[in-house]
Amino acid sequence: MLVGVGVVFFVFLLLWTAILWWVATRASVLVPYEGISAVVTRLRRWGTLLIVVVLALAFLLSLPFLPYPSSRAARLGPPQVTVEVTGRMWAWELSQKTIPRGQTVEFVVRAVDVNHGFGIYAPDGRIVTQVQAMPGYTNRLLYRFDEPGTYTIRCLEFCATGHHLMVAEFTVQ
Amino acid sequence: MAGQVGNGNSAQAQRSVEQATLVYMLVGFAVFLLMGLLGLLMRLQHAGWIDLGPRWFYRIMTLHGAGMVAGVLLASLGGVARVIAPRIGLSPRLLWTAFVVYFLGSGLVILATLVGGFAAGWTTTYPLPVRGDWPMSATWGFLLGYTLVAVAFLLWCVAVLFGAVRAFGGLGNALAWPVLFGRKTERPLPTGPELAATVVAIDGVIAVGAGVVYLVPIFAQMLGLVDGFDVLFAKNMLFLFGHTLVNLNIYLAVALVYATLGAYTGRMFKMGFPVALAFNLVIILVLLPYFHHLYQDFVQPWPLHLIGQFGSYAVGVPAFFVTIVGSLGYLYGSQVRWSAPVIFILAGLWGWVAGGVAAVLDGTIAINNVMHNTLWVPAHFHSYYLFGAAGFTWAYLFHTLGGSEGWVTTPAARWLSWLYAIGAGGFVVAFFLSGLQSVPRRYAEHIAAWHPLAQLAVPFVLLLGIAFLGLLFLSLRAIPAAWRAPAPAAGSDD
Repeated sequence: MLVGVGVVFFVFLLLWTAILWWVATRASVLVPYEGISAVVTRLRRWGTLLIVVVLALAFLLSLPFLPYPSSRAARLGPPQVTVEVTGRMWAWELSQKTIPRGQTVEFVVRAVDVNHGFGIYAPDGRIVTQVQAMPGYTNRLLYRFDEPGTYTIRCLEFCATGHHLMVAEFTVQ
Repeated sequence: MAGQVGNGNSAQAQRSVEQATLVYMLVGFAVFLLMGLLGLLMRLQHAGWIDLGPRWFYRIMTLHGAGMVAGVLLASLGGVARVIAPRIGLSPRLLWTAFVVYFLGSGLVILATLVGGFAAGWTTTYPLPVRGDWPMSATWGFLLGYTLVAVAFLLWCVAVLFGAVRAFGGLGNALAWPVLFGRKTERPLPTGPELAATVVAIDGVIAVGAGVVYLVPIFAQMLGLVDGFDVLFAKNMLFLFGHTLVNLNIYLAVALVYATLGAYTGRMFKMGFPVALAFNLVIILVLLPYFHHLYQDFVQPWPLHLIGQFGSYAVGVPAFFVTIVGSLGYLYGSQVRWSAPVIFILAGLWGWVAGGVAAVLDGTIAINNVMHNTLWVPAHFHSYYLFGAAGFTWAYLFHTLGGSEGWVTTPAARWLSWLYAIGAGGFVVAFFLSGLQSVPRRYAEHIAAWHPLAQLAVPFVLLLGIAFLGLLFLSLRAIPAAWRAPAPAAGSDD
C-alpha cells in the first residue's frame, strides 16, 4: 500500500509542479482577463465535478479495506489466535512472543497510564498495521501475518521521555 | 460595492490599527524564525549529527510545535485585522489588549518548556500532561499559557463578529448570503477577506469552546477536584480545538492572498457566488476532518470515522474551486510584477495543494492505518503550514513592508524568495519520503536506517534559513517607514 500511495502522490506532485510552472511562465505576458475568466469558470464547474467524482469513488472503494475488527474479520476470517497487549511507560507486555504464520490474530490492546500507539513493523522495516492503546478502553486489532520473521512493535503515540524506547519484538513462524 | 461602510475606523484609529497589526506580524515572523531554528536542531538530531538527549529533544519539539502555531497565527490575525479594519472597524485598544494577553500566554509556554521541562508535545494529549515526568508546575504554566492564547484569539473572533454584523447589517449579510441566494440588497457586501475573517471568527469561537471543554477538567484534576476523565472524550475535544484552529489559520492566510495578489496582477478578487458558496461551506466542513486524528482509536463509533473521511475529502473542494483556480486565473497572462510576495503565493499554492493531497491520502482510513503518526503527517502539515499558512502570511507582510514597487521587486528579494521555495520544497519532500519509509514521528532518536533522509533534509533547511535571513535583512530597513506610513492599498475588492 505504501508504494502505491507514494506513486500516486509523487506523480500528482510532478503534474501539479508542471501546471504551476506553465502558469508562471505565462504570467509575464498580457492576456485579456475576459478570455481567462471563461476558462476559470469552466475549470471551476467541470474541475470541481471531476474532483467530487474522484473523491466519491475513492471513498466508496476504500470502504472494504477499513482496519476495524468486523471489516478485517470479513476479509481474513475470525481470529484463531489471541494476544493480550498492554502498553505502559515505556514498555510493551505481550501474552505471547510467537505467532503462527497465516492465521488471523486478534491483538487485545490496552494501556495502563497514558495513550500509546501499538504499531507493528514488518521485518523489512515497513509498518503493516497499528491501533491506539488507551487507558480505560480495549481496542481489538485483527491481522494475518503471511511473511515469517521478526516483527517490531514501536510506540506511535507520543508518551514523553521514553517514547522512542518503547520497542518490543515478536516472531512469526 | 466596496468602500466606506459607514461605521469603520476613523483615519486615526486605522493608523493605530496598522501599527498594532504591524507588531503582530513582525513578532509572529520573529517567533517563526526562532521556532525554525528549533526545527533545524530537530532535523540535525534525526540526521544523527548532534545529540540533544531525549529530554531536551522533546522540550524543543513541544516548543517548536506550539510556537510555530502561535507565531504564524498571531501574524495572520494581525494581517487580516489590518485588511478588514477600515470597514469592519476593529478597535486598536482591543487589538493591543489581545496582543498583550497573547504575548503573556506565549511567554508562559516558553517558560514551561525551556525552564519547567514540560514536554507533552504541542497537542498535550490527555492524560499525558498530568502523567509526564516533569513538575506539575510546568503543566500549569503550559496550559495556562494556552488558555491565555485562546482568550486572545477569542477576543479577536468576537471583535470581528460584532464588527462584521454591525458593518453589514446582520450575520447573513456578513456571510454574503444575498450573493449566495441571489437576493438583491442595498447593504454593502463583504469583500473576500472580510467574509473569510467572519467565517474564521465563527469557527474560532466553536474551536475555543472545545478547548475550554478540554482544559477545564484537566485543571480540575490538577486541583484535586476530580480523579480524571474519559480519554476518548478528551481526544475529541482536543482535536476539535487544535485541528480546527490550525485549519482556520490557512483561511486567514487565504484572506491575505486576496489582499495581496491584486496589487501585483492588477486583477482583483471579486465577491461572487463561488466565493460566497465556498466560504459558507467551510463553516461546516472545517469542523469535520478532526475525526481523522482518531481513526486508530477503534473504540470510537465507526460513523464518526466515516464523517472524518468525508470531511477530510470535502474540505479541500471549496479551496480548489475558489482560491486555487482563482489565483491561477489571476496570475495567468497578467504581466505580473514578479516580487517576493508573488513568489511566496505561487510557492504557497504548490505547498498548500501538495499538503492537501497528502492529507486526503492520510485522511483515507485504510491508508491512515499505515501512515498515522509516521513522518507522513508532519510532511503533510509542514507543506500546508510552511508554504500555505505561513507563506501566504509572509507574502502579505512583505507586501506591507515593501509595497508593490519597493524592495520586494528587487532581484535580491526575488532570488531569496525562489531560494525559500526550493529549500522548503526539498525539506518537505524529504519528510514525505521518510513517511513512506514508515519512520515514526516524534522520536528523539532515529535508527541508522532512518538517518539518510533527515541528512538530505538538512541542507534544504539551511537554504530556508539563508532565504529568510536575507529577506529579514532586506525588510528591516522598511519597518520604520511602514510604522509611519499608511498601508499600501489592499488588492481586494468586492
